[in-house]
Amino acid sequence: MKSFDVIVIGAGVVGSSVAFHLAKLGAKSVLLLDRGTIGAGTTSQSSGILRTHYSVRENVELARRSWDVFNNFASYVGDEDASAGLVKCGYLIASPEGDKLDPLRASLAQQVEQGIPLEFLSAQQAAELLPICRFDDAAVIGYEPEAGFADAYMVATSFARGARRGGVTVKENVNVNRVLIENGKVVGVSTSAGDFTCDTVISTQNIWTPELAAWVNVPMPVVPERHAVLALECEAAPYTFKMPVYKDLGSPGMLYCRSYGGNQMLVSEGIVGEKLFGPEAEQGDIPLDYVAEVGEQVADRFPAYAEAGLASSWTGVYDVTPDWNPVLGRVPGVQGLIVGYGFSGHGFKLSPTVGKVLAQEALGLATEVSLSPYAITRFASGNLLTGKYGLGAVS
Amino acid sequence: MKIITAVKRVVDYNVSVRVKSDQSGVDIANVKMSMNPFDEIAVEEATRLREKGQATEVVAVSCGVLQSQETLRTAMAIGADRAILVQTDAELQPLAVAKLLKAVVDKEQPQLVILGKQAIDDDANQTGQMLAALLDWPQATFASKVEIADGVATVTREVDGGAETVRLVLPAIVTTDLRLNEPRYVTLPNIMKAKKKPLEVLTPEALGVDPAPRLQTVRVVEPAARKAGVKVADVAALVDKLKNEAKVI
Repeated sequence: MKSFDVIVIGAGVVGSSVAFHLAKLGAKSVLLLDRGTIGAGTTSQSSGILRTHYSVRENVELARRSWDVFNNFASYVGDEDASAGLVKCGYLIASPEGDKLDPLRASLAQQVEQGIPLEFLSAQQAAELLPICRFDDAAVIGYEPEAGFADAYMVATSFARGARRGGVTVKENVNVNRVLIENGKVVGVSTSAGDFTCDTVISTQNIWTPELAAWVNVPMPVVPERHAVLALECEAAPYTFKMPVYKDLGSPGMLYCRSYGGNQMLVSEGIVGEKLFGPEAEQGDIPLDYVAEVGEQVADRFPAYAEAGLASSWTGVYDVTPDWNPVLGRVPGVQGLIVGYGFSGHGFKLSPTVGKVLAQEALGLATEVSLSPYAITRFASGNLLTGKYGLGAVS
Repeated sequence: MKIITAVKRVVDYNVSVRVKSDQSGVDIANVKMSMNPFDEIAVEEATRLREKGQATEVVAVSCGVLQSQETLRTAMAIGADRAILVQTDAELQPLAVAKLLKAVVDKEQPQLVILGKQAIDDDANQTGQMLAALLDWPQATFASKVEIADGVATVTREVDGGAETVRLVLPAIVTTDLRLNEPRYVTLPNIMKAKKKPLEVLTPEALGVDPAPRLQTVRVVEPAARKAGVKVADVAALVDKLKNEAKVI
């Protein structure tokens, strides 16, 4: 039976980052497993938005450090050919008068206090950056120049390649059947490719986390939730790569929008989605009525898009926790088990730092961001990490 | 001239389909459905003919479950003027669809029926041909170009090694190939307009058609999983394996 120091389950963008950082921090024998292929699960469905705007302070910290990685990706992963597909177009968030205004003010103030480069814009300044959008009713507009979007699949595969170069064994198309435990301690994993022994398992199983919960008999609250994304084509008002990502707190769906190249806008709702009964990353149905409903919200903000065409549409699945924030760290009662799951739609933004801190935790090093706010025990204690915007992926 | 286009609701081409555990078919529960891409080309072609003034009305027809209304709405958002759903929960095979379409054609009296050459779910490539036979109409399958003038359709067909041009006296059947046109994106205003266009619901019984399957599906299985590769020590070992194991050289 082959033996490893650490086994990582799940080679999405988070698991690949964990494996990369384990190698980078000097772990000698690491195995990274995936049921499919690297980054092919929910990672490949990410809209790729990168921002540090969060109402939860700890998330800002994780996102800020992650941004530094995205911004210097090739040198960070030690491969001059590596690319995160970063488009540094900035991030614009606006709210009219209403219930989102106070949370926005508070979040922006907190970001400033944390040293994030941030500008408060007038409607006119915002319109200069994003001339296809109207800001006449905006009460507050925040702009993060150090933000944009990138490609989650490219990041996952680059981390995995970097992990391999660092000596990590990566096995794809391997199903983990269970985690082997003796006397309350992790001793290995049993898989479709045989059993492997180890002292530490890091699970980054996303929507498949309930499988882990059953193996180790520990409640791990998470619900798979499906969200639809539309690509709208509008020749009259192209959303160019130079135009910032836009978060519209005034729309019923709290839309986020970004350039999708050509004359296309990528748009999705940032609110609660369709709950699924089981882990299922397959493409879900998107009714025309839903397209019309989102289209109407877009047209309300981007007038030329009233005539837009639907170029394509797809769905992605979030692993949503009760407070829409991830669980990071050790699982009490199961020695040697560390989890990173429940990213609730904002995992990609945090993935570089999350990979690093989970690797640090596994290797017994001090974590550069405290994991205690993200502890799984918060669901039992009621000490939730709910953001000021309420439930939804802004967090 | 009235044109009928037939459209089928199928599992979206981006979905990796899974076979049901009892091998009776493919699991389509809760996955993305969309219009068969070849049918989208058919609706687009019909719409262009009407926009050019060569057709007066485009009627989209679908046979199947209630949710096929969504597919018909898409057809009307592309440009069809109205739609007919022949609603049934029964399994529909190509012959049954051809019979249902014949009944609709008898009722509607179009001069041209444009269908996709095949559906991406069952890949049967039969419905258009069967419909032509049932109606005793001429047919041009796998069309890459369609021109209508003076009651005659001149159709370029994609055949092995090139293109074949045929002339058909209308009424006729045309089935579309991939290169016939590039369907437009449905626009938001047209999605809204499509909601107001008439959608008539018929049943096989009302049309006097028995859609019962004539073929029995014995089993549906997934393709065999690809075997993992092996690493060989050197070129000599590779040549040896190719010669003696794979027997390809």
